Amino acid sequence: MTASQLTPDTDDVRLGGASRVWRAVVLIVACALFVGGSLVGDDPWWPFGPWRMFATATKPTGAVSVMSVEVQTTASRSWTAVGLNPPSIGLNRAEIEGQVPQIVHDPSRLGTLAESHAELRPDSPRWTDVRLVRRSTVIENGRPTGQLRMQVLAVWHRGQGNKP
Amino acid sequence: MRHVRAWLFVPTPLARIALLRILVYAFVPLDVLVLHTSGFYHGWADPVWYKPMIAGQLLHLPPASVLLVELLKWGCVATALLALTGRFPRLAGWACAICWIWYQYIAFAYGKVDHDRGDFVFALVLLPTAGMAHLKDGRRSEAAGFALRGIQIVAIFTYFLSSWAKLRFGHGFEWLDSATVARAVIRRGTPVGELFLQIPWSLHVMQYVMFFAELTSPVIFFVPERMRRLLVGAWYLFHLSVLLTIDIAFWPHLVMMLAFLPLEEYRDRFVGFVGRRFGRAPDVVDEPVMVPDRSP
Repeated sequence: MTASQLTPDTDDVRLGGASRVWRAVVLIVACALFVGGSLVGDDPWWPFGPWRMFATATKPTGAVSVMSVEVQTTASRSWTAVGLNPPSIGLNRAEIEGQVPQIVHDPSRLGTLAESHAELRPDSPRWTDVRLVRRSTVIENGRPTGQLRMQVLAVWHRGQGNKP
Repeated sequence: MRHVRAWLFVPTPLARIALLRILVYAFVPLDVLVLHTSGFYHGWADPVWYKPMIAGQLLHLPPASVLLVELLKWGCVATALLALTGRFPRLAGWACAICWIWYQYIAFAYGKVDHDRGDFVFALVLLPTAGMAHLKDGRRSEAAGFALRGIQIVAIFTYFLSSWAKLRFGHGFEWLDSATVARAVIRRGTPVGELFLQIPWSLHVMQYVMFFAELTSPVIFFVPERMRRLLVGAWYLFHLSVLLTIDIAFWPHLVMMLAFLPLEEYRDRFVGFVGRRFGRAPDVVDEPVMVPDRSP
């Protein structure tokens, strides 16, 4: 190892000048990118994007929305909510929630969930119809009022193209 | 300048970095196999959902496929196991870094970024810079000191930048009086969290504590050593309360915070305790045991 050597007076393993410089440069560049990401960046800057876990402000009075996906299968013609988790559809709830406008614009995306599900869970009944539903819990001063709202945002039927 | 240099490259026991390395590379397989598997299932998601991030655009990273996620997952495991042995620390360490970072990229390039994992990228990048380190090496090394310091800085930076993000995205100080934590509990609260939901002021106070702890987190570098360890303990308590109320744990970050602790001292104390408790010091097992001469 060229950069480090044992100094005679102590047992400490020292670093040479060049070894110090490149290490310091790596750290400074990383920190600069973290600062840049936090000042002007957003999620696509990962891993330097802003550290925005729970950073948005929720109004104490309003509604907290949760998306859910409901399906009809070859076995059941009634709408049933399914778990939005990767082992079932390859995506998680937040990824669906993050692309709601794209789904509303092109409901055939819901059909790709049916296909992923068929590959990941070949033994469960095939999904024939898939719909995206928004459920809202009304809160007042940070406390749920018990009032619920429900809205269907997009529907996909197998074999019927993209018509909602 | 000289002070900064001395602080950045403070000679630190090689045994400490060897212990941290074991914890980090034991964590990697646990992480990819058990804790954070969403990237794996993206192999089955239709490419229409792929939203390339900046790093992926620069490096022309393709959408996930079943083959790619299998390669990266098992690549993480294999390189981490090699790094665990302490051999080829740079080669194994940086190979592990590439696999894990790419695997996380795939996890986050489908519309949802988990905001707690960017710092661990630098744990994996910086750890190999320490080079060879043995568990029983009593020498101190500047390279080891730098790797630990870098991990500490990035870990604490994430707290500080979290408070900044709350100001930036939470309408300034309005965030403090928002119902953000209440919302988190409604969406994914545990039974413990539900209890706090019935006492809205408790969640409100928690937001103030969280924000000011994050904002002032860099003081950890300016306090006496004893205080520093207490602060690390306080952060672990904070993360425990988050786990109990909303069932979220920033696992990679929790591993990084270990970089503040004198792991080799804890190990020696533990080994000494075991030795006293069971009447035999494992330290000296390797040495010839004195057997009283019973021959007549």
